[in-house]
Amino acid sequence: MPLRMELLVCGGTGCQASNSNKVLEVLRQGIKEANLQDEVRVLMTGCFGFCEKGPIVKVMPDNIFYVEVDEESARKIVAEHVIKGRIVEEKIYKEPKTEERLPEQSSIPFYKKQIRIALRNCGKIDPENINEYIAADGYMALARVLTEMTPEEVIDIVKRSGLRGRGGGGFPTGLKWEATRKSKGDVKYVICNADEGDPGAFMDRSILEGDPH
Amino acid sequence: MIKSIEELKQIRDKYKDVLQNREAEENKIRILVGMATCGIAAGARDTINAIVDEVHKENINNAVVVQTGCMGFCYAEPTVEVRFPGKSPVLYGKVDAERGREIVRRHVKKGEVISEWVLKG
Ligand code: FES
Ligand code: FES
Repeated sequence: MPLRMELLVCGGTGCQASNSNKVLEVLRQGIKEANLQDEVRVLMTGCFGFCEKGPIVKVMPDNIFYVEVDEESARKIVAEHVIKGRIVEEKIYKEPKTEERLPEQSSIPFYKKQIRIALRNCGKIDPENINEYIAADGYMALARVLTEMTPEEVIDIVKRSGLRGRGGGGFPTGLKWEATRKSKGDVKYVICNADEGDPGAFMDRSILEGDPH
Repeated sequence: MIKSIEELKQIRDKYKDVLQNREAEENKIRILVGMATCGIAAGARDTINAIVDEVHKENINNAVVVQTGCMGFCYAEPTVEVRFPGKSPVLYGKVDAERGREIVRRHVKKGEVISEWVLKG
C-alpha cells in the first residue's frame, strides 16, 4: 500500500545534538502504537539548514514544518497531527517581528530568499537509500556524460557554465578539468578529502550527510 | 550495476512516486480528507487509504492526499475536498472508499465534478 504521510526528521549534526534521534524514536513508537505503520512513515533526512531551530520535523504532503521538537511535542504530533489532522500550533515557527505562525517552510523568511541548489536534496531524500537519489534525477548528468558526450564537450560545457570551486579560491572547474586532461600519464587519480578544517563549518559536510551519492 | 542511461531511467521512474509526497508544493492538486473524530468514526481511514491507493494506481503524479481536521460537517462524514490550484474547492460528503476512488478517477483525473455528491453549505 502506498504511504499517505511521511514525517521527515532531521538527522543533521545540529538536530542530532539537540536530540532528534530520540524524537525519531518517539514518533516511530507512537505511530506503531496507533497501528499506522503501513500508512505513515518516519524517516531521517539530512540537514534542513535551520539548525538553530532544530530538531526539525517536516510532515509531508501536508507541508507542515515543525521546529524545536522534543519528546513531548513528538508525542503530541502523533496524537494530534498524524491521527486527527490537527496541527500542533505551538511547534510551528513563529516570526519574531509579527508573531505570526508560519507552517510552511517556504514562507519562513529564512528560506524565502534562498534557492537551494547544491543542497536541494538535503532534508528531502533518505540519504541511505540510493534509489531516492536516483528518483530525484540523481546520476542523470553523469550517465549522459559517459554515454553521449566526448571529454572535450564536457570540459567546454563546464567552462561555459561558470562553475567554480566552493572554496575561498573559487577556481574555475572547467579549467581544472582541462588541465587534468592535458597532463601526462595513463592513470590519473582523484583525491577527495571531503574535509572541513574550519571550526564550526557546515558546508560540504551537510551535503555528504544529507545527499551523499 | 547500472550500465546504460535507460537502466538508470527505469530505476528513476520506478521510484519516482516515493518522492511524490515530499514534492507537494502548492501548485499540485490537493485532496483533503477530514479525519476528525467523527470522520474516523464514519470510516475516513478507509476512505483516505482508498484515495491514496487510487491516485497511485491511476499514475496521477500531480496530486497529493492530505488529511485535515474537523471541517464542521459531522452529519456528512467522511468529507473530502478537492482543490485544483487557482480554482475554488469542491467539497464532497459521505465519501466511502468506493466514492473516494471514483472522485479520484473522475474529478481529479478528468476534472469532472460529481455534482450529486457535492455538499451544499
Ligand atoms: S541539523 Fe537539522 S536543520 Fe540543520
Ligand atoms: S468533529 Fe465532526 S465535523 Fe468536526
